[in-house]
Amino acid sequence: MNILFIEDDAIETMKLNRTVSKFQLKHKITEAKNGEEALAILNSKNSLPDIILLDLNMPRMSGIEFLKILKNHDTLKYLPTIILTTSENRADLLECYKIGIAGYIIKPLKYEDYEEKLRTVLQYWTINELIKG
Amino acid sequence: MDSKEVLMLKRALERQKKARQQAEKILEEKSKELYDVSHHLKETNNRLENFLNEKTAELDGVFINIIDPYVVMDMQFNVINMNISAKEFLGYDHTIENLNLANIVHKDYIKYTVESFASLKKVGILKNYHAKIITKDKSEKYVQINSSLIYDKNKKPIAAQGIIRDITQETEIKHLLSEQKTQLDIIVENSPLSIVLTENGKIVKANQTFIKLIGYSEAELKKLSVKDISAPEDIDASIELMDKMNTNQLDNFTIIKKYIRKDKTTLLAKTSVNAYKKENGEIAYQIAMIEDITEQRNLELQKEKLLKELEYSNKGLQEYAHIVSHDLKSPLRSISALATWLNEDYKDILDDNGKTNLTLMQEKVEAMDKLIDGILKYSTIKSDNLDNTLVDVNTVIDDITSIIYIPDHVEVIIKNKLPTIMADKTKIHQLFQNFISNAVVHIKKEKGIVEIDCEDKKKYWQFSIKDNGVGIPKEYHKKIFEIFQSIGSNERSTGIGLSIVKKIVQLYEGNVWLSSELNIGTTFYFTLKK
Repeated sequence: MNILFIEDDAIETMKLNRTVSKFQLKHKITEAKNGEEALAILNSKNSLPDIILLDLNMPRMSGIEFLKILKNHDTLKYLPTIILTTSENRADLLECYKIGIAGYIIKPLKYEDYEEKLRTVLQYWTINELIKG
Repeated sequence: MDSKEVLMLKRALERQKKARQQAEKILEEKSKELYDVSHHLKETNNRLENFLNEKTAELDGVFINIIDPYVVMDMQFNVINMNISAKEFLGYDHTIENLNLANIVHKDYIKYTVESFASLKKVGILKNYHAKIITKDKSEKYVQINSSLIYDKNKKPIAAQGIIRDITQETEIKHLLSEQKTQLDIIVENSPLSIVLTENGKIVKANQTFIKLIGYSEAELKKLSVKDISAPEDIDASIELMDKMNTNQLDNFTIIKKYIRKDKTTLLAKTSVNAYKKENGEIAYQIAMIEDITEQRNLELQKEKLLKELEYSNKGLQEYAHIVSHDLKSPLRSISALATWLNEDYKDILDDNGKTNLTLMQEKVEAMDKLIDGILKYSTIKSDNLDNTLVDVNTVIDDITSIIYIPDHVEVIIKNKLPTIMADKTKIHQLFQNFISNAVVHIKKEKGIVEIDCEDKKKYWQFSIKDNGVGIPKEYHKKIFEIFQSIGSNERSTGIGLSIVKKIVQLYEGNVWLSSELNIGTTFYFTLKK
């Protein structure tokens, strides 16, 4: 799977990479440090990711801002976008569902729990039929 | 004697005789005249006497029949004569006992009476003497007397006569009226409301309150019209209302308008105007009640501003709480991951001490994470975002017991079927979860029981959560509801749970309290308004 991972925190990126390699999953992870960078990647005409993992709290362009732009785009709006955040703010959750998401995952405190959650998410999307842009 | 001589004598005699005859005739005439006069005099006298009698009788009649009390006194105030009316009025009869009028004058009027009498002696008449007297039956009467002196033939005053008018009622009414007027004046002058009387827009009268408020003296105000002391921007509205009143479309109206003080500063006042109409329906006066609401309005504006600010800062705080909690939780996740990796990657190098420290670190991170969660929950409990629906409390308890950690030896029991209440489901969940998770971890007995019950108290529900745990010392019963106060030695306790509980209960106008016995157990009670 091609995964666009939008996250500003380096350790979070390490966590995902470590999880993916630990379970020997064959996913290609493209990292973007914020929404702007992610949009640049998406618009670069290279092949599109299968899914997007999106953090909400990021500098410059927040996850929600990015999501709005994405869902207003004629073609990009079809990309399954899963929120991966620490925010348990109900307002954020509702806002995301309103704009349109494919999932809302709260980052657990313990790394072991994180591994479990991420493995499940990735597993699900692996068995899912994807568009393959 | 010669004949000449005789002739002369004869002639003389003849003359004498003639003269005597003439004298006799005159005498006779005079005598008749005298008789006539005397007769006439006698007649006149008789007539006069009759006339006098007539008049005397007439006077006696008048004297007796005068309706007002009539009294004649000598110059020492002793009554010489009085009519029936006077006897009735004064209660005295001078024919039975001596009556000295000076004795019945009220002591307050003695000085005035002496002066008045002096004036009577000097001028001969005295009009409008007013005094209070005490009649025989000890009642006090107000009298008005018009009197005059009576003189003897030598023009020496020997007596005074007077007609008494009983003006007691009149005077009492007058006193009453003046008293009432005084009272009314006191009310009007001391009213916290300004009161202004106007006639066709001109100020006729204003009370002290208004004078103080507006800064003009009463004399100055009387030269001014309402328009002169009104702010220009309010005049049109005032005139419109006044016109409606003048054309009988309105009997009264209230307007909030600005007045201009003498020193040109303005004040905002609530003005209520009432029309006072003459019998023909024409408006005689307008009565305006003016209440200075400048400060009130300022306070209102201030309050509005503060409320807005509060709302804004509340919203800001809530957002802030979320952001802070996020920003605090993110690094915790990183620390937790790094500690885990240290443990995983260097497990061959780390000794037991190092491994223990890493575990302790994880525990601390976990505690901090909980604390942050608690603060966030506590700070986001607000009445304005309650989503009240019908909540079956039994289901809520089932949900909780399936989520939270319950030690194997503890059992959570619903004693009687719990009600379905109107409340915010999330808050009720939070509420019970705090109580239950608190209860289940503090039981050291072999078999732990947490019992949940509810009583219908008509206006509110009273829930109870009873455990057979370690109990809570009395001195902590209050303290445990305060934020960050944890009394247990339990590392997992953040000290926020019960303060969240209290806040939620307060949202539903309820109370929370407990009864506890050491080593026997604790029962928490709380009420929720229906």
